Amino acid sequence: MENTTIVETHSLTKRYGSGVLAVDSVDMSVRRGEVYGFLGPNGAGKTTTLRMLLGLIRPTSGTATVAGHAPGSPVGLARIGSLIESPGFYPYLSGRENLRVVADLASVKQKRVDEVLDIVELSSRAGRKFGTYSTGMKQRLGVAAALLKDPDLLILDEPTNGLDPQGMAEMRKLIKDIGQGDRTVLLSSHLLGEVEAICDRVGVISNGHLVTQSTVQELLGEEGVLVRAQPIEQAQDFLTRMFGAEAISRQDGAIHLKTKPENSADINRQLMNAGISVSELRPFERSLEEVFFKLTGEKQGS
Amino acid sequence: MIATIKFEWRKLRFRPALFVSAGLIAALTALVYFFSWYQALHPSTGDRGLVNIATLYPDQFVNQVIGAGAIGGAIAIVLGAIYAGSEFSWGTLKTMFTQRPGRLTVWAGRLVVFSVWMGIMAAVLFVAGAALSVVVALFQGHAISWPAAVDIAKGFGAIWLIFVAEGAIGLGLGVVIRQSAAALGAGLIYLLAVELIAVRFIDSINNGAYKWIGNLFVGQNAAALTQSFTSPAFGRSLAPAISAEHAVLVLAAYGVGLMIIAAGLLRLRDVT
Repeated sequence: MENTTIVETHSLTKRYGSGVLAVDSVDMSVRRGEVYGFLGPNGAGKTTTLRMLLGLIRPTSGTATVAGHAPGSPVGLARIGSLIESPGFYPYLSGRENLRVVADLASVKQKRVDEVLDIVELSSRAGRKFGTYSTGMKQRLGVAAALLKDPDLLILDEPTNGLDPQGMAEMRKLIKDIGQGDRTVLLSSHLLGEVEAICDRVGVISNGHLVTQSTVQELLGEEGVLVRAQPIEQAQDFLTRMFGAEAISRQDGAIHLKTKPENSADINRQLMNAGISVSELRPFERSLEEVFFKLTGEKQGS
Repeated sequence: MIATIKFEWRKLRFRPALFVSAGLIAALTALVYFFSWYQALHPSTGDRGLVNIATLYPDQFVNQVIGAGAIGGAIAIVLGAIYAGSEFSWGTLKTMFTQRPGRLTVWAGRLVVFSVWMGIMAAVLFVAGAALSVVVALFQGHAISWPAAVDIAKGFGAIWLIFVAEGAIGLGLGVVIRQSAAALGAGLIYLLAVELIAVRFIDSINNGAYKWIGNLFVGQNAAALTQSFTSPAFGRSLAPAISAEHAVLVLAAYGVGLMIIAAGLLRLRDVT
């Protein structure tokens, strides 16, 4: 049976010489073919974890298997493309020449250079020196370099960093396109909307701990209906009798009801018939932002 | 290994430092020739300003250009520091280490190409010296005759070894300090000041009882190796305290040793 995970870590830990615990016992599992969002605030340990997966940083303890091999193994690296933080290229070479040198090192045929330039839509500006590129062009070239090996696993660390809104939208579309098919994308980000829009599953890291790991839908919770009514206690008793106590919760003066939004009309009618006046009744869905702040213990708007 | 050599060579041949360093060494050779030529034709009183015009003819060009070893060595330190340190400054180390080859293979390929670069520098020095010696001979109406091929090969090998050994100081410092500017500064300060002071101090202790330690310094051995190339045309010279064989061994040990230390650091350290 083929192994369904392409990245697996067990108690992966990195403590720097200064005593700083950057990553603490991370157990992470990325499945083949998915777009996995690695979500966390700045300084949470995302980049350190990704660097450990690529063999750039040695873990203090714990193990990791990436594309079937130990991190940094030449056989494993042959199947991994990566862009870690800002793209590292030679400023005196053109975009195309930069890709050519990387292709040489990766033992990739030179014709692949033009293919990846087309994918990231940089062909027309590939002759310009890298040092003259805008941030967006540099990021695109970084993604192009990551695609050179036509990798099974693509590791992208904050690829929209420093981009303007249009550049971010273009990069997200590009990542979505790249992630279609059998390729696995491991995308780190601190941008919730980005992860929600692109990813199938999410791992949330905070202060070096992997707080949770699940599908975006699981993270957002079941769908439901929000009810505001008067008198609220009477409304809650009535709805508890209708749906059971486990389906009801109170938050900010409203009732959260775990039920399908299609039941809204029936709920409204029954509450009205019971003499309860309904002021608000709408489908309820938690935002990823709300979940994220709850999981990481960070304060919203701080 | 072939992949890393192709990668490094493709980078190097577009690198401005390759052309700048080659141009610089050719220009310095030209300056030495023209100043020496002027001094030979306009001798000042006293021995110090005396230059024998015969030292500027083609049959002496190997002995003449090899004197540029000290300046070339300083340039080699700068190039080594830039070559190793700039990969840290540009953030390209992570790009190199996340492709197919392992870290040591990448470093080995880099060293091969750096050694070729030092060979190019030595070749530029020799070609420039040979060409300038022909110019002098033609102007002076002197017959053109060349040194024996074996002497040219020995001279080329000696200057290449000096460049590689001193370049390895720059390479090692670039890897240790993880940037080029501080590395080349430290390398030049070592070569031009620290080593001279240290050797002078060591030689003065206990009537030169520890002179053998001073004879293990890289600059001393580079100087001894260049001094071993001489001829009667250059006048009387003191017998060097270090033999050419000793100098070759010590310089080779510096080159290999520093490259291995740098390899160890690159292999073991995190790329952050």
